[in-house]
Amino acid sequence: MTRIFGRYGFAIGILVVLLIANLVMNPARFAPGNWPTLLGLAAPLIGAALASTPVILAGRGGIDISVGPVMGLVSAVVIKVLYLDAGLASPFILWPAALLIGAAIGAFNGAMATVVRVQPIVATLGTYLILGGLTLTILPAPIGPAPDWLKAMAGAWSFLPLGLIAALWWALCRTPFHDQLMAVGSDDRAAYTAGVPVSLTRFLAYVLTGLLAGAAGMMLTALIGSADPKVGANYTLIAIAAVALGGVSLAGGRGGLLGAAIGAVDIFLLQSLLTAFNVSTYVLQVAYGTILVVAVVLIALQDRSTKRSHA
Amino acid sequence: MTLPLDSIKARVLGAFAVALVLHGIGTALIPGYSAPFAIRAMLVIASLLAVASIGQTLVVILGGIDLSIPFVIGFANVVAAQLYGQGWHFGLVCAVVFGLAALIGAFNGALSRGLNLHPLIVTLGVGMVVQGLVLIWTKGFPSGSAPKAVSGFVSIGGSFGPLPVPALIPTLLVLTVLIVLVLERTPYGRRLYALGSNPGAAPYALINPLRIWTVTFAASAVFAAMAGVLLLGFTGSAYGDVGQPYLFQTIAAVVVGGTALVGGRGSFIGTIAGVLVLTEINTLLIGLNFSPASVQAAFGAIILLLVSIYGRERHFRTTV
Repeated sequence: MTRIFGRYGFAIGILVVLLIANLVMNPARFAPGNWPTLLGLAAPLIGAALASTPVILAGRGGIDISVGPVMGLVSAVVIKVLYLDAGLASPFILWPAALLIGAAIGAFNGAMATVVRVQPIVATLGTYLILGGLTLTILPAPIGPAPDWLKAMAGAWSFLPLGLIAALWWALCRTPFHDQLMAVGSDDRAAYTAGVPVSLTRFLAYVLTGLLAGAAGMMLTALIGSADPKVGANYTLIAIAAVALGGVSLAGGRGGLLGAAIGAVDIFLLQSLLTAFNVSTYVLQVAYGTILVVAVVLIALQDRSTKRSHA
Repeated sequence: MTLPLDSIKARVLGAFAVALVLHGIGTALIPGYSAPFAIRAMLVIASLLAVASIGQTLVVILGGIDLSIPFVIGFANVVAAQLYGQGWHFGLVCAVVFGLAALIGAFNGALSRGLNLHPLIVTLGVGMVVQGLVLIWTKGFPSGSAPKAVSGFVSIGGSFGPLPVPALIPTLLVLTVLIVLVLERTPYGRRLYALGSNPGAAPYALINPLRIWTVTFAASAVFAAMAGVLLLGFTGSAYGDVGQPYLFQTIAAVVVGGTALVGGRGSFIGTIAGVLVLTEINTLLIGLNFSPASVQAAFGAIILLLVSIYGRERHFRTTV
């Protein structure tokens, strides 16, 4: 428990402060009855941050900048192609389709990174551009609406997708995959000599990232109640920022989905607090950047002092 | 597997060959592709990207990455226009803009190295702050314009003495020679490669990592600011988001040019080759009447294809 708090201490600290500030500044919006709606508002960013995490944990420059465009593509395919054009409205078709698209793109990224061995940031940059172009071709302009059950997932049922992801990660943490992922992320050469299937583990991390990005795409669609080809890509960098804020080491091997989620909630709370103060989006941007830099600095300082106290 | 193809030189030559082949395809398919005006336009666009990619090349050789380049380009673009519009002397404007850019870059480098933070996050955060401050200052509506001299310097129709190209092209050539000399013939260049290829061992060779990172990131920001001022001359008016396409394009140019993102390997000549390849691809696809969306998708696919052919990494197994 203390270890978790040590790693995420800073993010949790910000979370508490921001939550209290939000409750004081804006009690009506943060009334308990509104929590499902608030969670629905935060869900796409939380989903994108969760999605970005597995590849970063896998180390050796692992990063997936195509997470945002995957969300955009999933949204476009699910609403335009499947729901409006083909008339498929059942969640038991649309959800698997979204996850399948995400996982397939993740598998492609994973193959590029582990089999073809292109540097991850370049491989996923290629995917980023391809998916962005593809989404705009499928869906040149925003279109709607989304089915009612999906819109409900941004309201009363907003905890459901995130809860399922939490359950999935909880289960994964109890399999050898999680330990292997962390081993590969901290020192792939040592892991390799110890017999860990390094490339396979990394590949699976990309598939998991794709799968979660597909889910994040559904949460985004639920929130905006339609499909918009332009909003997805915006989530990429802010999601990576949330991951770093949540104490996940960009060098790999340290952190987890919980930290990423806390980091994303921090950013969301900061956003709503500044909006409550009625500041312009420009100030919001300065605040984002500052918090991000200050947060990684404080996490680094904290790491340093922990190391010193152990030595 | 250890064919000569693995060497940096082969990658650079490969990238130049790809650019030539693309140009051949363009000339065969599109009438006027090799017309003097079209060539000049491509050279100017490529040179602007090349200036913006200088810093990324240096930073990547060092083993870092600079995501603040587009934000610094936008910062320089808007601030230069704004100050010049207020009647400042242009020399003073440049001094202020480049000086501030150097401070921004030095902060990026010193913070990343000093606290061992990932430069991706630091440069992103600092870039966002810089862009936000500029937006607050201009209230989102930048004004002002470029002096005639800068517009003429980058104008596609311009000429430089007897040469039918704007002064930007010969300037870039001189700049390229200088950068190659600095990288290959000066202590700074050797230190940059040494630190990039083995950050752990370099301090034992009396290399001060903090100083090299600070200087290199400062240089990166100054070149980005230079690109921003040149873009002001090119487009005529200030636009805060003018740098955004350069975020991924500089990285792509560096990588297509054979510089490895893990650091310690690469050259600016390679980046020039990468810049030419990217410019040819873009011009070719637009010339073939692809929609902007398909251009973007094809651009991504071609980058992946090229990098899969000659930008592959060694298997980590070989590093055990």
